[in-house]
Amino acid sequence: MNILVLLGRSAREKSSRLLYGLGFLQNVIKETLRFFRKSQVGYKVLIMQILFTGYEALTINAIMAVSIGAAINVIGTSLLPQFGQSQLMYTILIIVITRELGPLLTAFVITARSGTAIATQLGTMVVSHEIEAYLSVGLNPISYLVVPRFIGVVVSMLVLTVYFNLFGLLGSFIVVQVFNPTPISEYLGNLLSQLAVGDVLWGLLKAFVFGVVVSVVSTYQGFSVNKASTEIPVAGIRAVGQSFILIIVADVIITLMQYA
Amino acid sequence: MPDTNAVPQVAIELKMVSADSAGYKVFRDVNVAFPRGRFSVVLGATGSGKSALLKLAAGLMVPSGGIVEYLGRDMSRFTRKDEADFRAHSGFVFQDAALWADTNILNNVAMPLRVHRPWMSQSEIAESVRLALKRIGYDEGMGYRPSDLSAGEQKMVSIARAIVHDPDLIFMDDPGSSLDEDGLERLYELLGELGEAGKTVIVVANNSEFAYRFADMLGVIKNETVVAFGGYDETLSRASVELEGSLARLKARGGRSRKPRYPDSPAGDPGSEMSQRGDV
Repeated sequence: MNILVLLGRSAREKSSRLLYGLGFLQNVIKETLRFFRKSQVGYKVLIMQILFTGYEALTINAIMAVSIGAAINVIGTSLLPQFGQSQLMYTILIIVITRELGPLLTAFVITARSGTAIATQLGTMVVSHEIEAYLSVGLNPISYLVVPRFIGVVVSMLVLTVYFNLFGLLGSFIVVQVFNPTPISEYLGNLLSQLAVGDVLWGLLKAFVFGVVVSVVSTYQGFSVNKASTEIPVAGIRAVGQSFILIIVADVIITLMQYA
Repeated sequence: MPDTNAVPQVAIELKMVSADSAGYKVFRDVNVAFPRGRFSVVLGATGSGKSALLKLAAGLMVPSGGIVEYLGRDMSRFTRKDEADFRAHSGFVFQDAALWADTNILNNVAMPLRVHRPWMSQSEIAESVRLALKRIGYDEGMGYRPSDLSAGEQKMVSIARAIVHDPDLIFMDDPGSSLDEDGLERLYELLGELGEAGKTVIVVANNSEFAYRFADMLGVIKNETVVAFGGYDETLSRASVELEGSLARLKARGGRSRKPRYPDSPAGDPGSEMSQRGDV
């Protein structure tokens, strides 16, 4: 009986949290639509968010993209000839980088950097009553604090994904030059012949969805802090954990839609 | 026929308000009406729920039961415009200052102006901020971050932020905490000016000095509710059961020398009409 009661209570709490989360998402979307229609004091927050999430992550994203592009090329040039499929190298490169790893790894980088930063920053603001202070002067925290972060993360996610794609292909090109020197025009020609607009669009769709997931989960977790400073790191950990899980679930769903 | 003009209009009224925090009951069935243009002080021991009462009155906390009204209108039914209007005409001083850590003093104090008076130029805003800070006696630079300041200076900045847009209704949560003697004197001067200007000021404190100096209305929080609320003298004379702590000290100090600000009210005591709303 006790177990049933506990299970019931747990299910009720989880349902309640899910509904609250969906309400939060709805509120964020509603406020986002209003964001550009009115004179906003939140533009500075938006610019700062894009600088932090997008610009400051360029280096780490570039290093990762070049490395991954190079690794894929090394693996491909070693394995594919054994099956007589060397011509698939460019196709695999395009598919793996633009459709899958570009958005996925970029999302992981943004979650690790910005997701934790957003959750802990908002959590700290809750504990120090800064959120209430915004309310007291008539600023809606969703509009002023969440929406700029939401837009900033989504925009950064899209830009960084494109950036990742370009640098991933650059890494691959570097490896090609080492093992099988090829003129850049020929390399690009082969690459572009395999590249379809759909590859880029599906990748960007994933980037968009992942950006929404990271920003909404992180801000939600930040606001879930109640009173104690010890809740702040917990919010950061939850933001990362939940974002990772939801990103992978979203990735699977979009991939299924892509190949259905 | 009584002069109805003398009857204070209610600025904020809590009707059967209950509140929970983290699963615990903070208040139950609170009835209190803060009159417009008057200085109300609510006393209570540490942890009695004074801050929660103030946040409920200011719409910063959602009650679990009952309603909170501003000028007779249920705040839970406020439209976006109503909310903006209410915030444009109110200011809130937090107990722990609650300044925004990621920006400087100028931006902290300027925020109400940027939100509610977007037509003001940067130079006009800076001048208004400077004047507000001067009124409370803050004389450090406006480029500092809150973390560069002492707790007392942060409190001054918090007070300046609450008055910079010249609101009609000011909520103050323990405004004297962290201030040194000079700071307190400046605060008393400021509160006197606000009272003279006919502002509605609601202060919660555990220091009876505010009540002694300024209270037109006096309330007491105890046992999860407002056990007494009415005119200063009335609360002291009628709430004999609650005479302990700050209230007992006020009683011991005897009558106040200052002239009644509201001669139209019976005995100059604005609480006479309002006390029926409390449990005095």
